[in-house]
Amino acid sequence: MSAEPAVEARGLSVRYGDFTAVDRVSFSVARGEIFGFLGANGAGKTTTIRVLCGLLPPTEGAVRVAGRSYADGERAIKEKVGYMSQKFTLYNDLTIGENLDFIASLRKLEPSYYARRRDELMELISFKKGLGEKVGALSGGTKQQVSLAAALLHDPEVVFLDEPTAGVTPAGRDRFWKLIRRVAGSGKTVFVTTHYMDEAEQCGRIALMRSGKLVAMDSPAGLKKSVFPEPVFEFDPLGTLSFAALAAFESHQAFSFFEPYGPRFHAAAAGPEAWARWRPELEKTFRIREIAPSLEDVFIRVVESAA
Amino acid sequence: MNRTLLGFIKKELTQALRDPRMKFIIFVTPIVQMTIFGVALSTEVKNIRLAAAFSAGDTVLRDVYENAINSGWFVPARAEGELAEHPFEMIRADKADAVLVPPPGGFTRALGRGDASLQLLVDATNATQAQAVDGYLKAIVARTVRADTGLAPPPPPIRFDVRVLFNPSLDTSIFLVPGVMTMLMVLTTMVLTNIAIVREKEMGTLEMLISAPVSKSEVIFGKTIPYVIIGMTNLPLILSVAVFLFRVPMRGSLAVMVLATFVFVCTTVSMGTLISTFCENQQQASMGGFLFMFPAIMFSGLIFPIQNMPASVRWLSFIDPLSHYLSLLRSIMLRGGDPRTLAWHMGVLLVLGLACGAVSFRRFHTTLS
Repeated sequence: MSAEPAVEARGLSVRYGDFTAVDRVSFSVARGEIFGFLGANGAGKTTTIRVLCGLLPPTEGAVRVAGRSYADGERAIKEKVGYMSQKFTLYNDLTIGENLDFIASLRKLEPSYYARRRDELMELISFKKGLGEKVGALSGGTKQQVSLAAALLHDPEVVFLDEPTAGVTPAGRDRFWKLIRRVAGSGKTVFVTTHYMDEAEQCGRIALMRSGKLVAMDSPAGLKKSVFPEPVFEFDPLGTLSFAALAAFESHQAFSFFEPYGPRFHAAAAGPEAWARWRPELEKTFRIREIAPSLEDVFIRVVESAA
Repeated sequence: MNRTLLGFIKKELTQALRDPRMKFIIFVTPIVQMTIFGVALSTEVKNIRLAAAFSAGDTVLRDVYENAINSGWFVPARAEGELAEHPFEMIRADKADAVLVPPPGGFTRALGRGDASLQLLVDATNATQAQAVDGYLKAIVARTVRADTGLAPPPPPIRFDVRVLFNPSLDTSIFLVPGVMTMLMVLTTMVLTNIAIVREKEMGTLEMLISAPVSKSEVIFGKTIPYVIIGMTNLPLILSVAVFLFRVPMRGSLAVMVLATFVFVCTTVSMGTLISTFCENQQQASMGGFLFMFPAIMFSGLIFPIQNMPASVRWLSFIDPLSHYLSLLRSIMLRGGDPRTLAWHMGVLLVLGLACGAVSFRRFHTTLS
């Protein structure tokens, strides 16, 4: 039982007419893992999540989530998972209590179980205001925490969070991730998509998607190592660079990767000989120091530069 | 009852009734509209501006004119002097709607000669009004001639013996108020249902909803039953206005009225659901509702008699739920409700409602695609 992965996809494809949204994706996620799902908009993350939540039967391939598959019936997977979709999914014109009551009735929770669980979850998100508070009056960060509580109401084994922190303040994002770690710590599997690299760093493993395909999957440290086998340097310009000069550096033969990073640049050397030859020349324009690549560098190299 | 359905009903009613504006729209506007439409909508033609070109000695024509004014249908046309203008000019210049023109020498003298011709010029740019004017004046002329001279006007080839049933005073509000009731019932039920479903789609809450292990029927009934309830609460409101304010009789049984309304409300809610399956956002839903309402009112028989429609389009009235509810209301309220008529119209409504429900059911999915 414990050996079985919480989430497993095999050769998963979703096609809408001629358009392939998800193309033969396979992966598995262990119980209690925080699994990050990264990719540009339209890469197929949300579609994959919808399949894994039991909302969208795959065109091809199979998924198994918390021991259930589509073959077990239309509602089999839905019973076992919690889902927080990209759009805000509570009713603004209802109070927190009314929203939770409604979700409890959708899931046919026993009233006594529901009351206990609701109090537990309000404590988990350390929500101090009353259940009578209108959802529309809450801040973005608090709304997302209440949404998370709503997704956890039926005590699912796996929770899918689709961009849960989009539009939330940095402090709010930090609080939300503390909750995610607490939820994973209690043995639940958390499957989360994000565009924030600092959030991706907190995942046990990350999968990168591009145009419906899974292009890389590893721990953040593992990804950095495998995507950048060559040394990576930070280039701090000594003076102001013209656009023309910058364009020349971007296509410079010394680099296999050259991308802006704040006021500086991150670059990977094309090869040891070329690097040895060009470094003295480059040091006239930049202060150079070797660094470990950031996850953002990984993301750019894998997801964006190849496009 | 199923816990999910109860949760739905509670949630929908809370949402629909929390907003004070919504409460006003659901419960107050129907009463206001009933009152306004009942008063304003009337096919009676009144205040027709009448002129008559009578000379001082033309007593019969003067009496015709005075009787016409006294009837209440007509008002004197504002004419300076004694028809200073040519009668045709008066109508063309929009100073009169109708002008009575006697033969040369006056109408009284012509009657004496046995020649009872009198010309009526009437503005027929409004055809309904022109027909009414024609009818009213013929009657008034006949009555006046008989009273003044004892002569019977030339009899028409066939004498009609008209008896006006159920609405002896031909009070048009009794005829029109059920129509207004029909319109209001369909507005609150169909439009609200449609918008409530489409709003969930647009806001993305539908995705949350169907991510729970709910069945198709739980979602569909959960989203529609609350609007059947709201629709039914409208019945006592508008029925009271009809009976107590407009004095529309209520000759049939109240229980039958409630049953007929229940069948109608279920049908319109079902149609609202069907329309919602074609709409992705609230704009489309409003437009869809309007595109339904407009022909539904036109073919209901509320404004134009169904009997006058060509057979090729009369089937539209047949599939128009409004036409059946209108027939039901008129039957129950005015005629006391003939069981076979009621069964027929309720049967058709039921079939329409079930058909729309079945199509909605097929089109609605608890998975995305």
